[in-house]
Amino acid sequence: MLLQAKDVNYYYQDGESRRYILKDTNAQFDKGKFYAILGQSGSGKTTFLSLLSALDSPKSGSILFDNVDIKQLGYEKYRRNKIGIIFQSYNLIPTLTAVENVLVPMSITENEIPADRLTVAYNLLDYIGIVKSKADRYVNKLSGGEQQRVAIARALATNVELILADEPTGNLDEEMEQEIVDIFKKLAHEHNKCVIVVTHSNEIAEQADQILTLKKGLLTVHE
Amino acid sequence: MNFVKRGFLSILRRKTKVLILFAVIFILGNVISGAISIQQATGNVEESIKERIGASATLEIDHEALEELSEEEWMEIEFENLGTDLIEKIGNLSYVKYYDYTSMFWFASENLSYYQGENEEHDISFGSDYEFQFKGINYPAVSDIEEGKAKLVDGRVFNQEEIDNGATVGLISTKLAELNNVSVGDTIVFENKVMDYDTDDIDGTLIDAREVPIEVIGIFETQTLKEESEDGFDSFIDFMDIDFQNTIYTSNQVISNESRWRNQVYASVDEEYAEYYEEEEQNEYFRPIYVLNGPDDSEAFAEEVKPLLPPFYTVINAMDQYDNIAGPVESMSNLSGYVLTAAVIATVLIIGLVVLLFLRDRKHELGIYLSLGEKRARVVGQIVIEVMTVALIAITLSLFTGNLLASSVSDTLIEANQDQDQDFYYYSEFQTNLTTSDVIESYEVELSMQYVIIFYLVGLATVLVSTVIPLVYIVRLNPKKILM
Ligand SMILES: Nc1ncnc2c1ncn2[C@@H]1O[C@H](COP(=O)(O)OP(=O)(O)OP(=O)(O)O)[C@@H](O)[C@H]1O
Ligand SMILES: [Mg+2]
Repeated sequence: MLLQAKDVNYYYQDGESRRYILKDTNAQFDKGKFYAILGQSGSGKTTFLSLLSALDSPKSGSILFDNVDIKQLGYEKYRRNKIGIIFQSYNLIPTLTAVENVLVPMSITENEIPADRLTVAYNLLDYIGIVKSKADRYVNKLSGGEQQRVAIARALATNVELILADEPTGNLDEEMEQEIVDIFKKLAHEHNKCVIVVTHSNEIAEQADQILTLKKGLLTVHE
Repeated sequence: MNFVKRGFLSILRRKTKVLILFAVIFILGNVISGAISIQQATGNVEESIKERIGASATLEIDHEALEELSEEEWMEIEFENLGTDLIEKIGNLSYVKYYDYTSMFWFASENLSYYQGENEEHDISFGSDYEFQFKGINYPAVSDIEEGKAKLVDGRVFNQEEIDNGATVGLISTKLAELNNVSVGDTIVFENKVMDYDTDDIDGTLIDAREVPIEVIGIFETQTLKEESEDGFDSFIDFMDIDFQNTIYTSNQVISNESRWRNQVYASVDEEYAEYYEEEEQNEYFRPIYVLNGPDDSEAFAEEVKPLLPPFYTVINAMDQYDNIAGPVESMSNLSGYVLTAAVIATVLIIGLVVLLFLRDRKHELGIYLSLGEKRARVVGQIVIEVMTVALIAITLSLFTGNLLASSVSDTLIEANQDQDQDFYYYSEFQTNLTTSDVIESYEVELSMQYVIIFYLVGLATVLVSTVIPLVYIVRLNPKKILM
């Protein structure tokens, strides 16, 4: 068990009352598996993922990584050394080229990175489907699909075991979507990573090893 | 791709935004730089003028206090003369470097010519009976020479023995020496004349006279009040100098002896005067001069001395004259002070706003770095590097341009001011040979080390504060909030 959500609660304060987004949520995630979190818009998928990726903290309960509370580990440290995050809106740095974007987390992490970082970055991009000529372009001169590939390469750059993605194909057409999903499957099954993808697409969910659904603050795990 | 490298890349790749930031800092930098330049320059003027004025003080009748009195009160006043005991007691205060007290007396001379000045048109002697002004002193080295009002060019100053014993020796000016072909070692003869002007003869009648031979031990050169004066003060300044050229320094003791003799002669012919002369035990008048250790001692000295003085006396500091002559420069200083305050406030606000705008579209980027686990300090560090690099270049440039601006602005302003205020010339016993023109001449806008340091500190601190405050506010939020 790589990652565990334990009795996690999250709510927004609405005047006097609390509006719960997540209620006593429990979940477990393992290496080598591809997970899909399904739910309608506004059901709290992004909220849940942001707790798993320590971009926000739960109101109560805890997130454990390798059985250690990530709060104890330190959120910042957890983010830079343990996880790779992929956003729906890519969140790349526009003034940097694709390869420079991949180099950024390498300079932030404390994980061991091969000495020749530039070569590693180009190779990663190439593996994800971005050739050298495109790797040297500013990211806003790449298509949406290409940008999301750069974002995936960036998430992989620090050599982490856990990949978290929030609707990574939300802005892409179906063909591109399938290519990205294939990458995730490959990462889970061939590279033994734990991949958690938030989506509202049933086609993606069907390809996952395990589906979790979120509805009215309750997370249900489907075997 | 660490935060330092990211910072520099960002500067290079965000040219428009960087240029706007640069322009704002540069323009405001010029204003601040100009204002500091002027402040600094006026500060320098004050220092150099005060240095030239010197830290000296004298004791005088307080005319302002007298003016407040009613007529009845006027009638009852009896002025005490300052006795040598009091003068010496004050002279022994710790603020005093050395002190002197002087007395004045006037002699005639048969075979000595009065120096009339270079200008033939002037004829300014006081009548031949009291032509030559003797200045009795008590400080052997002569305070006027020590203080740079005169320069010894030949011979020597007095020694203590000559002062104490009233040796008939003296110093004369170069002009008087040249005119009368006198050199060190010569003896010149003056006449102590006792005249009675209470007669029908308008020139007065001679009651008695005795010869006063003075051995010239030194020759001094007057330090002219001003080399070239542009307008109407020539004649006044010439006049002051002519007076000085015809002054002979000797000891108070010599003056005292001659004055006593003259009084006795008077008393022998005039009964009324004899009575008055008997009553007054202290009938010698001395003007003290205290040279203080430094300009900073002026006020403390005055505080300590005032209680010791007889009624209606006050301390006059040479330093007080500064305000009189430094008018135009002072008003520059005030103006630049206001500009500086306003500019610093405006700069903090404007740079704060510009940086805030600059940061607003960087906020998302900062959120990304945080989501990748970058340390907050480094996220702040990257932006600080960017802003400070731009600021450093803009400030460095504005340092020079602002300085140039300041010299041309202050030139115009001083000229305008000077026209209004007219050249104010101040003259007193201190013989401060300074005019407003002197003050303006010593006004110089320059790049001093102190100025450069102040400017960088003010400039960079302003930019730093207006950058760090909003940044800290942003990075305190969790990344989800920032990215939303
Ligand atoms: N700052 C906020 N204050 C109050 N309510 C919020 C805030 N942010 C989100 N919410 C609410 O929390 C709920 C969960 O939001 P969340 O973004 O997790 O949904 P989601 O499942 O990701 O939806 P989508 O599929 O549209 O991305 C929504 O009802 C949303 O309106
Ligand atoms: Mg969402």
